[in-house]
Formats: sequence, structure tokens, C-alpha cells
Amino acid sequence: MATTQYRKNNSGNPFAAFWQKNASNIMPPILGIMGFLLVWQLFSSTGITKLPGPINIWMDDRARTLILYPFYDRGGLDKGLALQTFASLLRVAQGYGLAAIVGIGMGILVGLQPLLNKALDPLFQFLRMIAPLAWVPIALIALQKNQPAAIFVIFITSVWPILINTAEGVRQIPQDYINVKKVLRLSNKKFFTKILFPSALPYIFTGLRIAIGLAWLAIIAAEIVMSGIVGIGFFIWDAYQQNYVNEIIVAVFYIGAVGLTLDRLMSFLQKWIAPE
Amino acid sequence: MTNTLVQIEQIEKRFPLSGGNEYLALKGIDLEIKKGEFISLIGHSGCGKSTLLNMVAGLDRPTEGVVLLEGQTIRSPGPDKMVVFQNYSLLPWLTVKENVALAVDEVHSGLSNSEREEIIRYHIHLVGLDQAVDKRPAQLSGGMKQRVAIARALAVRPKLLLLDEPFGALDALTRGNLQEQLLQICEENQITAVIVTHDVDEAVLLSDRIVMLTNGPGSKIGQIVDVDIPRPRKRLEVVNHPSYYALRSEMIYFLNQQKRVKKLNARKVAILSRHGLEKVNLEVGFVPLTACAPLAVAKEKGFFTKHGLDEVNLVRETSWRGIVDGMAGGYLDCAQMPSGLPLWMTLGGSGKSTPILSALTMTRNGNAITLGKSFYDRGIFSLTEFRHYLRENPQIHRMGVVHPSSMHNLLLRYWLASGDIDPDRDVVLKNIPPAQMIVDLKAGSIDGFCVGEPWNFRATMEGIGFVVATDLEIWDGHPGKVLGVRADWAKAYPNTHIALVKAILEACIYCADPQNALEIEKILSRKEYVGTPEQYIHLSNPNQGVCSIDKPLRQYAHHQFFGKHVNRPSRTEQLWHMTQMARWGEVPFPRNWVEVMEKICRVDVFTTAARELGLMEITYSRGPIQLFDGSTFTTDDPIGYLNSLKIKRDFTMSEITFAL
Repeated sequence: MATTQYRKNNSGNPFAAFWQKNASNIMPPILGIMGFLLVWQLFSSTGITKLPGPINIWMDDRARTLILYPFYDRGGLDKGLALQTFASLLRVAQGYGLAAIVGIGMGILVGLQPLLNKALDPLFQFLRMIAPLAWVPIALIALQKNQPAAIFVIFITSVWPILINTAEGVRQIPQDYINVKKVLRLSNKKFFTKILFPSALPYIFTGLRIAIGLAWLAIIAAEIVMSGIVGIGFFIWDAYQQNYVNEIIVAVFYIGAVGLTLDRLMSFLQKWIAPE
Repeated sequence: MTNTLVQIEQIEKRFPLSGGNEYLALKGIDLEIKKGEFISLIGHSGCGKSTLLNMVAGLDRPTEGVVLLEGQTIRSPGPDKMVVFQNYSLLPWLTVKENVALAVDEVHSGLSNSEREEIIRYHIHLVGLDQAVDKRPAQLSGGMKQRVAIARALAVRPKLLLLDEPFGALDALTRGNLQEQLLQICEENQITAVIVTHDVDEAVLLSDRIVMLTNGPGSKIGQIVDVDIPRPRKRLEVVNHPSYYALRSEMIYFLNQQKRVKKLNARKVAILSRHGLEKVNLEVGFVPLTACAPLAVAKEKGFFTKHGLDEVNLVRETSWRGIVDGMAGGYLDCAQMPSGLPLWMTLGGSGKSTPILSALTMTRNGNAITLGKSFYDRGIFSLTEFRHYLRENPQIHRMGVVHPSSMHNLLLRYWLASGDIDPDRDVVLKNIPPAQMIVDLKAGSIDGFCVGEPWNFRATMEGIGFVVATDLEIWDGHPGKVLGVRADWAKAYPNTHIALVKAILEACIYCADPQNALEIEKILSRKEYVGTPEQYIHLSNPNQGVCSIDKPLRQYAHHQFFGKHVNRPSRTEQLWHMTQMARWGEVPFPRNWVEVMEKICRVDVFTTAARELGLMEITYSRGPIQLFDGSTFTTDDPIGYLNSLKIKRDFTMSEITFAL
């Protein structure tokens, strides 16, 4: 009711209407970012930090090229940042996809079998604590090649939150639903599709959302260590070796933006599939 | 094969506690549920009623005993015993139709798609949710959700429908509507159902039988009441059925009693011995009547303390049932009792024998028979006229008495029978707590009553009834209330017993002095005693002017508290009670009646107490009993007397053994 009336009053200008409605949500973040850039510039201008300020970055040729031409490709490792990011994302997608399949599958199994849970839980908790970087040498030794090793590192980093949350979701199926299953003597297939999966879905999504963030963190770390591949992580490492500080900063912005986008995407997906 | 559907046999359920202990939830539960029967399980929270239901559902297994469904042990849950849970248990990601379909598709997998579709549609229609088939539970109100749950349960066509506080979370209006709907569905489809509830009205409305569970640990079936209200029932009409309030108060009494037992168990007090008495902390039960004056006075005027009983606590019970349970349960030390109650309890009137004796008669007289105002308006002023009226109007007439053993019941029956009215066939006598008589008479659920004062007087003053006979013309000077103690109590605390009789006897003397009347009336009117305005309580002449009925028919039968033949227990009177109670089939007539008579009347205690008080003049000189119909009762031949009576029930004889 309120919105229809609102539209009537401002029927002439939909943009103005949108602005009036969302201004309070849009303005504060913009002001925050502006403030941040200002403080940053002040810090670098006064010499408190050695880092270049936002204006210096814009003035730098290499950095400006990177910002303005994200898709250039001069062959080899010399590619635009979008392409670098894309290569990294592709690795994440593979490792994360594998982690989702294994994590959800194992999670359901562990959630349903208390005995299995008791047997494996300490192991999971132990492995979960190992930092992604620590896996890199192991992965490289075990798999010998950069590409599968990178995917393995993504996988091993992101599988735990998915697995643990899925298992918890299965354990948390309300007793009422279990009773419905018992009283109706539902078949396993029906139980799985009609009760277990829908009921655990919010938990699974929580796991997936935590995992996507971890996976993205892990890929950067992994690529920095694995030399000679296309990817934003190695790009940073390379720029550091050559002392291109401005490039590093631009790349870091990419990483943050992609991470934020991934998280938002999962959150949107969760709202869409499992509304709560 | 009978039509028994469910058999619960000797169920016991223990739950392991942390720390290795066990909690005994249920013990010795036996119950049979017939096909088509509607059963309610009621009890306080934590009494294990849901546990019991879960065991019938197969969701839980008993530790001991078995539950049989059609002779088969219930080992696991299944759609043949469908459960409706309190929190609906609908799957929130499925629509109404899908929720019902989930059950129907699984259970009726043998049927074709269209047949299943029809079953789903029919049951959603049955609960009136056609509009909401495609809605998800989140879009429904609580009442609608529960209707979906009921539809789902009924759609699987269970042999047994189990409902666990199904309407507990709903508002009153929705609850009422759903109860009615459930009632109708169950009546039309002959569904066997068990419902767990804590709502007394819901239980009465829905059930054929109400099973009341005692408090845990070790809950058992405390009582089962049959609901005799005919079906089909309607929520608004059920309350008008004469049994409704009786059933309701029966259940509320039970639940309150459970609460009290719990409280008493929690504060078990040690026995205090002082002043050479074995026990000075006494719990004394009484019922709010003018006749409780000696107890109230003994407490208020310090007679208990004077005789060394420092810590006497008067416990106000609203009905004689409360006194019986309190004495049998051991949480009352002694109590004011109708004169026949010691005998009735001794002879096992309540089903089990608890030997009770009496050493003091506290009051005599003070009773009357009241009929509703409508009889007065028809000009019925006497027993003969009442008989004529009953002959001409054969519809059911109900009269209230307070307890099977009370003098009111015996006098009313004697009075009716002497007028050639059979108290069981020509009228129906109901047990009603004294204070409730007025309400029932006003509501028309009874036509008259026989009760102690102040209730007759109050009915007359309020203009809803009139006194048709008083003690003066039935049996002037009959015993009213006595002091009852358990036989084992009397044996354990003989000196306390004597002190108690002395204190109350002195209070009786105080009550009998007309100078104290006003003061006592004031005490009695207080909330902790009778709790009725002073103008209704009369120890001396009532003020005739306040009587709203213009022609005061009767002279008021005042209580006698003290006097020459008043207080000493009388064996002849006890024998009269014995014959009357046997006459109406309340208790068997004891073959060893002489022994019973001797043991119940503790004349020795009375005599000791009286002598120590210096009351040598109260001697015993009562001979045969003279009654208004001209008959004389003696102790010579009670069985011959019983046989000579015209109107009587078949009486039985049995040997009563005393463990004294």
C-alpha cells in the first residue's frame, strides 16, 4: 500500500523516486569510501607511509593502463587484470566445486551417522586448522604440477566449513520432522529429498558462503607461491619482485572487489534458494 | 476378539539421568482403549502424559510392559497410529497440499494417482482449507497449520489418532472452533483417538473417558472418569449438561490435589514432641461450614496452645473428598468429619479400607433439607406434597448431598424413603461440595439439597430456595460432625489425642455459650474459615426479618456444640449409620459389627479428656434413637432391622479386619 501511494506522488520521475527511497543506503558507503581515499592520500602526501596515494597511482602509467584496459593480452603472463582474475577464479571454481560435492556428501554422511562423526570429527577439526599456505608444499610434492596443486589447495581449504556445517545441519533437523518421517515410514529417498535436504539447506549455504571467502583467500596465497602461472596472486608476486608498488595496489583492489562480489553472490543465491 | 483396539499393560518408563541415575517417569499404567473411543490424558506438566502417548505411537519404547494395537505389540511408529503434534510438524518448504500428499502418497502407494488426489482433496476440504491448498505453512495462522496437521493425520486413515496437546499453542477462539471441528470429524468417522491435554474443558468436551495421571516421579493413573454427555455434542450445549460441572470440578479437584501432594511432599516436616505430647505440630482438616466453629475457636482462642498443641495448622478443604484423601494420604493428622465418615472409611467406602476412629462428637443438628423456590411457588411444603409432585412429574429430579457417608445423605434418604420416595429411583442424588450447592440450585442443575448451615439459610435469604424440613423434625439431636483420626495415628500419639480432644471440647463449651455467639460468627465469616458474610452465619436465633420468603416455614435447627449428651461418641448412633449405609449399598454391613462399633467409638479417650477437664457431669445416658416416623432404633438386631425396611438396596455383609 505504502509503495503504490508513493509512486503515485512521484509518478513523473522514477529515478528521483529510487533515489529518495535508497539515498539513506547509498550515501553513507560513498562518503565512507571518499573519506578513506582522502585519509590515504593525506598519509602518503605527508610521508607517514611510504605507499603512493590514490592520485599517485592514477598518475602512474602502468597502473593507469591496468585500470583502463583490464582485458589486454600481450601473450604469456602479460595479461590484463580481468583476465588474470578470471584465471584465478577458474581455479577457485574447480577447487570449490569439488569441495562442495565432497563437503556436502561427507557432511550428510557424518551428520546421519553419529559413530562416523565420532570417528572423524577430531580429524576434521585438526585438518581444518592447517593454513592454506602450509598445504602448498605438500600439494606440490604430492601432485608435482602447479595447476592441480593449486586446485587441491582451494579444495582442502574450503571443504571444512562446508562439511562441518552440512553435518550440523543434518544433526539439527528438528525432531518433529524426524517424527514425521518415522510415523509415515517415509522411504529414504523421500526423506532425503523432502526432509533432510531442505531442512539442512540453510546450514549448507552458511558453509558454502564461508567457504567461498576462504577459497578466494587461499588462491591468492597459493598463486604467490607457485611461480609462472597466469593468476592475480602470481601477478602481485611478480609486481613485487619488480617493485611496481602501484600495480600491487590496483591488483589488491581487484582481489577485494572479487571477494566481496563472490560473498554477495552466495548470499543472494542463499536468499533465492533457501529463503528463511 | 472384543472391540478393544489398544491395550496398555503394566507400562513402566525410566529415563537415564546424567550421573548414572534414572528417572522413573511412569509406573504401572494399565489402560484399555475400545474402538471408536475418545480418551483424554490429563495431568500436570511433567507427569509423563506425552511420554505415554509417544509409547502408544511407537515413538518411544516402554522400559517394562507392553502396548498392544489389535493384539500386536507396538514396536515402531507407523501410519496406523498417526500423531498430531503440538507444534504442527508441517514441512515449511512444502505447500499445504504437498504436506498432505507426502503422507498420502507414502501410505496409500497402492492407489492410483487420481484416487490419491481425491483423498488429499477430500481431507483438505474436511478441515475447510480449500482456499489455502497452495500456501506454505509460513503463510498460515497457527489454527490453520494445526488443521493441515489434522488433515494430514486423517488422510492416512489411521486406526488410532494420537494428539499431543494439539491446541495448546492456539488462542481461545481458534481453539474452540478447532475442538468443535475435531469433535465433529471424530463423531462422524468413528475415529479412535487419544488426546493429551491440560485443558479441563477440552477434555470434557471431546472425551468418552478422561484418564488423569498423578504427578511424577512414578506417575500412574490416578483416576478415570466417564463422560456421560450424549453425542453428538456441541461446545455451547455441553456446558448446560447437568454432569458438566460435576466432571469439571472432579478433574480440577484431582489436579489441585496433585499440586498439594507435591507441595506437602516437598516440605515434609519432622514430628515435634513437646510438653509430654508425642506430636504438637498437627494438620487439622475442616470444611467451611458453621459446624467448623469448635476448630476455629480452638485455634483463635488459644485452646490448642493451652493444651500444649503449639503448632496446629487448620487446613481448609472445600469438599469432604479432600478430607478423605487427606486422611488416607496421611497428610492430615485429624479432621472434622461427617458422623458417618469414620465408618465409611473403615468399611472401605472409597475402595480401600482406612480405619478411622472418633473420640469426640463436635456438633449436633445444624442441617436442613432445602428445595428450590419453584416448589415453594407450586405450594409444595411437605414430604407428602413432594411425593405427589414427583409422581405427576416423572422427569429426572436431582438433589445434592455432600458425601455418601454424611448425615445429610443418610437423613435425606431416610426422609425420602419414609415418604415412600425411593432416593435412587424417584430422584437422583449427587455429591456436591457444600459451598457449591447454592450455585447449582440457582443454575437449576439440582432441585434441592440437604446440607449443613449456613447454606440452607443462605438459599432462603437469597430467595432461591426454602427449607422443607430441618433436623428438629427428622431426628432432633443427631450427630453432625465428629473428630476423626486414623487408627494408627491414635495408637502412635495417644497423649496428643487426649490433648486434642480436651482442646476441642473446651472450644465446644465456648461455642455453646450464647454470649460468645457474635464473636464466633465474626471469626467464622473470615476468609480462612467459612468465608461468607456474617449475616448468613447463625449460632443463635436468626433474624427472621431478613428472610425473603414471607412465610418462614420451619424453626431453625441450631447447632449444639456442648451439653449433656452432645459430645460423647455413641455406639448406638454408629450402628444406626452402619445400617443406613448398608441399606443404600454404600458399604457392606460388617458381620463383626459389634467389634467395629466398639473400636470406632473411642469412649475411653473421651472419658479421660472429660475427666481431666473436670467435666464429670457429661455422662452417657442415651438410649434408643427416636426418629420422626415414629420408629425406634436399638442395637438389639441390626440385621433384622435392615430386613424389615421396605425401600432399600441389596446389602452385602462382610468381615472387617482391624490391624489395631
